Amino acid sequence: MRIYKRNILSILSFLAISCTDIVDVEVQSAPLRLVIEASLNWEKGTLGNEQVISLSQTVPYFDELINNEVVGASVKVTNMTTGTEFEFSDQNDGTYKTSSFIPVLGNSYSLEVQHEGETYMAEETFSSVVDITEINQSTEQGFNDEVLEVNVLFDDPIDEDNYYLFRFKEQGDLLPEFVEISDEFTNGNQMTIFYEKEDDDSINQEEFVPGDSVDIKFYGISEQYYNYIQLLLNQYESVGNPFSTVPVVLKGNCTNPENPDNYAFGYFRLSEMVTASYSFQ
Amino acid sequence: MNIQQYRQLTLLFMLFTTFLFAQDSFTISGTIKDINNGETIFGASVFLKDTNIGAMSNEYGFFSITAPKGTYILTVSYLGYAEQQQEITLDKNQKLQFELKESSTELEEVIVTAEESERINIKSPQMSVSKLKIKTIKNIPVVLGEVDIIKSIQLLPGVTNTGEGSSGFNVRGGAVDQNLVLLDEAIIYNTSHLLGFFSVFNADAIKDIKLYKGGIPSRFGGRVSSVLDVRQKDGNNKHMAITGGIGVISSRLAIEGPIVKKKGSFLLAGRGSYAHLFLKLSGEDNSAYFYDVNLKTNYTLDNKNKFYLSGYFGRDDFSFGGNFKSGYGNLSGNLRWNHIFSSRLFTNLSLIYSKYDYALDFKTFEFDWLSYINNYNVKYDFSYYLNDTMKLDFGANIIYYDFYPGKIEPTSSTSAINPLELDEKTAFESGLYISVEHKITKQLSANYGLRYSRFSRLGQQTLVDYRDNLPVVYNETIGIYESGEEVGATYYKSGASIETFDNFEPRLALAYQVNDNSSLKTGYSRTSQYIHLLSNTTSVTPLDVWTPSGKYIKPQLSNQYALGYFRNFKDKTYTLEIESYYKTVANRIDYIDGSDLIGNNTIETEILTGEARAYGLELLLRKAKGRFTGWLAYTISKAEQRTPGGASGGLGINNGEWYNSAHNRTHDLSLTGSYKFNDKWTFGANFIYQTGRPVTYPDGQYEYEGLTIANYSPRNSDRLTAYHRIDISATWKPKGTSVKKWNSEWVFGIYNLYNRRNAASISFGQNRETGINEATRTAIFGIVPSVTYNFKF
Repeated sequence: MRIYKRNILSILSFLAISCTDIVDVEVQSAPLRLVIEASLNWEKGTLGNEQVISLSQTVPYFDELINNEVVGASVKVTNMTTGTEFEFSDQNDGTYKTSSFIPVLGNSYSLEVQHEGETYMAEETFSSVVDITEINQSTEQGFNDEVLEVNVLFDDPIDEDNYYLFRFKEQGDLLPEFVEISDEFTNGNQMTIFYEKEDDDSINQEEFVPGDSVDIKFYGISEQYYNYIQLLLNQYESVGNPFSTVPVVLKGNCTNPENPDNYAFGYFRLSEMVTASYSFQ
Repeated sequence: MNIQQYRQLTLLFMLFTTFLFAQDSFTISGTIKDINNGETIFGASVFLKDTNIGAMSNEYGFFSITAPKGTYILTVSYLGYAEQQQEITLDKNQKLQFELKESSTELEEVIVTAEESERINIKSPQMSVSKLKIKTIKNIPVVLGEVDIIKSIQLLPGVTNTGEGSSGFNVRGGAVDQNLVLLDEAIIYNTSHLLGFFSVFNADAIKDIKLYKGGIPSRFGGRVSSVLDVRQKDGNNKHMAITGGIGVISSRLAIEGPIVKKKGSFLLAGRGSYAHLFLKLSGEDNSAYFYDVNLKTNYTLDNKNKFYLSGYFGRDDFSFGGNFKSGYGNLSGNLRWNHIFSSRLFTNLSLIYSKYDYALDFKTFEFDWLSYINNYNVKYDFSYYLNDTMKLDFGANIIYYDFYPGKIEPTSSTSAINPLELDEKTAFESGLYISVEHKITKQLSANYGLRYSRFSRLGQQTLVDYRDNLPVVYNETIGIYESGEEVGATYYKSGASIETFDNFEPRLALAYQVNDNSSLKTGYSRTSQYIHLLSNTTSVTPLDVWTPSGKYIKPQLSNQYALGYFRNFKDKTYTLEIESYYKTVANRIDYIDGSDLIGNNTIETEILTGEARAYGLELLLRKAKGRFTGWLAYTISKAEQRTPGGASGGLGINNGEWYNSAHNRTHDLSLTGSYKFNDKWTFGANFIYQTGRPVTYPDGQYEYEGLTIANYSPRNSDRLTAYHRIDISATWKPKGTSVKKWNSEWVFGIYNLYNRRNAASISFGQNRETGINEATRTAIFGIVPSVTYNFKF
């Protein structure tokens, strides 16, 4: 439902849209914090044994995001149901890898990261995802009924609460776009998620034309991660919207039990994933 | 307390007052009107020359004074009007009607004078009140020439808002929902048109406004910060009159005139903005427009009974790209009966209805959404003019609320949306009050009163029960607030009480007259508020939902203390008001991080209860006479809130520390002036300076899922740059038109003369083309010229 709400509010803000500009602003600088990007994805039909976890550090808001990789940490994931441990080896570029991971849907896993004498912990359950039933294109869907969009269809299971994350990226684009959705208002129905682009000169964005290709990733996620990513995306996408909610500190699930104030940003998540791509006709 | 008990108490009051009749003095009562249009005059002074005995006319023009037997000279005065004197021999009760004539009946009077009622009354204990005549409001330069009551009151000390294009206003650090906005006594839930760019009040239909920032009289209740009392014109009962105007944003037309052999009159006013107004602005197939209609009629049955009927209907409609439609609006009506029981007992009975609703129609997702709040209000007010030193006001009211927070309906069989109806909520709010205006000595006068308020939240409704009765719990592991665990549900049948609250609200005001020209005043008031507007966005939106107190939401309670010094200079040409205040609000709702309010049936899982406090010093220097009139208003203030975790655990929102309220502006200065150059030309100007409002900026960044994510500093710990601008206007009244009685004027205005790009908001994000972080400023109005044509005949 967030996507509807967010769009309602951003549409209401249309009056203000045409009067924005980029300005220099002085901002505060918070003490540095560890960031754990532990998104373990298991693509359907693969073994899921290759997994990567990235560690980095925050930097001041207007600085360049470089040289902030964290090396020399130890990273370990444990299947709490079976007790199996997976060590992730330091690649000395901020990433930590394993090739022996065993994904089991519905099992609980824990993450332990040790860095500079601090221990960070997280727990999460492996979430499954349904198949995509159809991908098509149209103009009449979406916010603008004259612009092409790609539609992804899937059937929501009726007997459970489901949470999903979509990642869309047009080939050649710098940044992906995410859509998170729950079945709160649509339980048990066939659901359609669309991805549409409108012309925007200020960021050189053009609407889709035949020949454009979009890569699609579709993840199953937990309720707690849904709440996290929803807030993250809300804040990420609130630019220029005067009706946006007051931004807040984003806390993921990576805690520091010994020193709770020194928790880590980022999230430990395990998702089953479907990937697809679509070329506009 | 039920209606029957109210009735008994009311009777008791009346009996009590009747006993006090037996004195050897007599009463003069009557009504004061304008001779030109028959409008009753509120705030005219009636006094017996060379005595200390006098009174002010009330909202209905009624006055009553009581004095010992004798011969007096009765003087009736109202600034801007010719004074009337009459010798009377007081040997029996008598009724007198006065019709005052404007000092210069010509529209082109040379000397401009502010209205008497706008000036301070140094004798009256009432403080923290601001009155503006519609004439004054019309002289203030405004954006796009659209006369705006809500924007005008923001030029007064102690009144701010969260920025251009935001709805509502903030009084002495209070939130938007803490203002009781009354249009002819009917509650208005949303004062904005076009999301806050304009206000719902059509100046052509309004007689005057009164804003109580504190020292709220005990006859008002239900909101903790302020009362904005807006009164519509009664309509000209002498002859037909038409006024109208054509502006950049909207056109207006009002017609008024006598009915039933001048025993009554009516006023019908309409205003509409031009459709597709912002079509070009947004470059798409979009439209946004508003309209409103004001109606008022009155009928005088005999010299003891008068009836009034007023109504308001206003709507906003938006349409975007053919796939999204939205609309919202207020509807209200009030039937009033003025009855004069005796020359000393004036009563008014009001039956009031008001409604606010909004609707969305989202074609893209094939659903629509409807939400409304309805209320019925019965009010009976008595004014008893006891003797020459005491006046009693007492009465009762009861409001029935029906909150319908929303229904989502799929609009086609292929829609993925399941129908959903949020729980309807009902409640009764009642109040019983008495207040005494008491001239204790020649120097000291007091106004003391008490209000008893009661709120009952009623079934039928099913409420969720939570483990340990906690709808919000602190997740110790990851350090965030989240929904409590549902352990069951309780069903309350129709009419069953879910929760009842009651409060005694004392109100006290004292004035000590130091000398003929200055006085000291002090006041204390306790107020309670039982309904709350849920809004976690930076500014209030039409989608925000009103919710009643109940099992999980407690009423807001406020205490306010104020102290002031009031002075007239130079034969009342200048007035100076200095006031300081300290205010606390308990049970202020705050929203947990990431709260989700729209379409949520269990709002209690998104909120925690905290407190707010505000204090400040206000200064108002006003020039009321001469070619140049205007005022300088300056406020220095602080408004904060904090929300500890309480029973939910954890430190609380923002770690339980005090943080700036969103509308906390340290300095707020406004200078407003109007200069009458000659019969044809009048010039106006404003200067406004405000500290930027508190906001939350990022204090770090990191990469996550290929995106650059901002991390934000503690709530409202940064500030926007200062807001300032100058506006000017010129009004030209051409003379010598061939049409008799046709008066017209052209108003030329320039808003934001030096085209400052005042930031309404600054948001932070990653440029999608370059990937670099940017700060984006949204500025709403740059320099905006306007022209408006007004006519009257």
